Amino acid sequence: NPAFFRSIFWILPLLLVLSPVNSTTCTMENKTTEIRMKYENILSHDIEELVNMSAEYRDRCCKNKNNEKVFFCNDTQEIQSLQRMACNMLKFFQKQRLSRDFRRKAALVSCGTLQVLQCKCESHKKEK
Amino acid sequence: GTFGDDESGNFDIDCFSQLEFKESYSSLTCNFTELPPRNTNYTLALCTKEDSNYLCFDMEKRDDVYFLQFTDLLSNKDICVNSETKRKVCWSLIVTDFVKPEVPFNVNITYQKEANEYLIQYSTPHSWKKYLKDKLIHQIAYRQEEGTWKTIESPFLQVKLLGKYLSSDALYEVKVRSQPNGDYFKGMWSEWSTSKSFRTAKEQHLTESSSSVVLVILSVLGFMLCIVVIVLVITFWENRIKPAVWPNLPDHKKTLEQLCKKPKNNFDISFNPDSFGYVHIHKVDGIRARAEVENFLQPSTPQEMNLPEKLRSGSDLKTIPEMIDKSNLNLSVTYGGIWSAEDLHRLLGTNQSAVSEGNCSSCTYEVCHTNGMSLCDEGFNLSSTVPLDPSGQPNPEPLNGDTTLQRLPTSEMSSNNEEAYVTMSSFYKIQ
Repeated sequence: NPAFFRSIFWILPLLLVLSPVNSTTCTMENKTTEIRMKYENILSHDIEELVNMSAEYRDRCCKNKNNEKVFFCNDTQEIQSLQRMACNMLKFFQKQRLSRDFRRKAALVSCGTLQVLQCKCESHKKEK
Repeated sequence: GTFGDDESGNFDIDCFSQLEFKESYSSLTCNFTELPPRNTNYTLALCTKEDSNYLCFDMEKRDDVYFLQFTDLLSNKDICVNSETKRKVCWSLIVTDFVKPEVPFNVNITYQKEANEYLIQYSTPHSWKKYLKDKLIHQIAYRQEEGTWKTIESPFLQVKLLGKYLSSDALYEVKVRSQPNGDYFKGMWSEWSTSKSFRTAKEQHLTESSSSVVLVILSVLGFMLCIVVIVLVITFWENRIKPAVWPNLPDHKKTLEQLCKKPKNNFDISFNPDSFGYVHIHKVDGIRARAEVENFLQPSTPQEMNLPEKLRSGSDLKTIPEMIDKSNLNLSVTYGGIWSAEDLHRLLGTNQSAVSEGNCSSCTYEVCHTNGMSLCDEGFNLSSTVPLDPSGQPNPEPLNGDTTLQRLPTSEMSSNNEEAYVTMSSFYKIQ
């Protein structure tokens, strides 16, 4: 199902922070069952917490329309898209204006996403 | 899980993880199954391979167990043992396969009297956490006063014990523990919760249940009895019940038909005046009340039964006096009806002397009886009272209906021309 990743990774805020990153080969492309199990039992809960925590920052982001970036998810490139989203979300960890808990949760979701997809970022360092 | 060094066989390690142990942190707890020599220091470390790096985090030693907090549940990890004398040994560890849930708490037992059931409810900390919520299976153990433990497993936070399977008025003990259901998270049983005791109900509840059964049986029998009664009422309504409750009013015509028995010779009883052509019918001018009726409706004697038959043919008229002598035929006459002399003569026969010799009371003149009062008392004699003129001329004395009628109740009928009136109303009063 080409839309598999689109159906499970639905976080709207992730679409706003995407920036072009050199594509990286992920090793979990053909293991959709394992990806689904890890997402449903672990990652989905963390993403839900992150969405709830990002509610307080939603209006702040929308006020400055210059920062809006639209990302079009291409078919058959869901894993690469998710990889880019996760790697870019790691930038949140560096923004001191955000709360520490939010930054830690964002990093947790980013790292978890990359771990599920067995991907890595080349342009950013993941911090735990 | 247990990790051992197959090569050296010197030690084995047991580890378990606890998810969301503290806020978003999970924990890993390990211990050696066989304690190593005290003079040797061993360290345990949890290692993760990321990119080209192999990151290890030493576990904190607390007495005889090693403990570590972490947040990443998705990456593959290794558990490594370091010692001063031996090389580092690592084993692969999937923290989600060695999950040990937290201990259940708040065990509560409620007795439901109506159903005779014991509701056991309990709580688990994972109900308000995110990973193991609704992914646990619970085991409930109960026993009777130091007896053997019996267990029940349920994915829900309550179970019911049927009272019929428990001893009455006995003390029971209950405790609960949890385990991952195995769909994704696997692991081991948690520690047992604190035990809770309860006493079962006494025997009277069983008696109440048995009395309710008796009540149900009696209700069913009563209902069936009502059905039977209704069926019997419907069956016997027309023939027995209704005639007894609402008796039919006598019908004049039917009553007369019963009184006037049909002769064997098909003697038709008719109320058609033409049928009474031989009877001289006189006008009735008045009505007088009569005394008691003398057994008019008594079952007829054979002689009475045969009388109408004899009257049918003229040849039989001669036998009538003999029959009537023996009979007790009384006709109640309300109008003071009288028979004409001709009719009486025909009826009684030509033997006037025989008639005259006989006692009037026992002769045919009994037909003249009016309510027990014989018209013959004053010597009513056919020979003297009724002229033998076949023409049927009445008595020289003028016959006055009123006069005649008035004289009848006083039984002073001495007129030879008196005639008997028989009317329908007399039958009505007889009824």
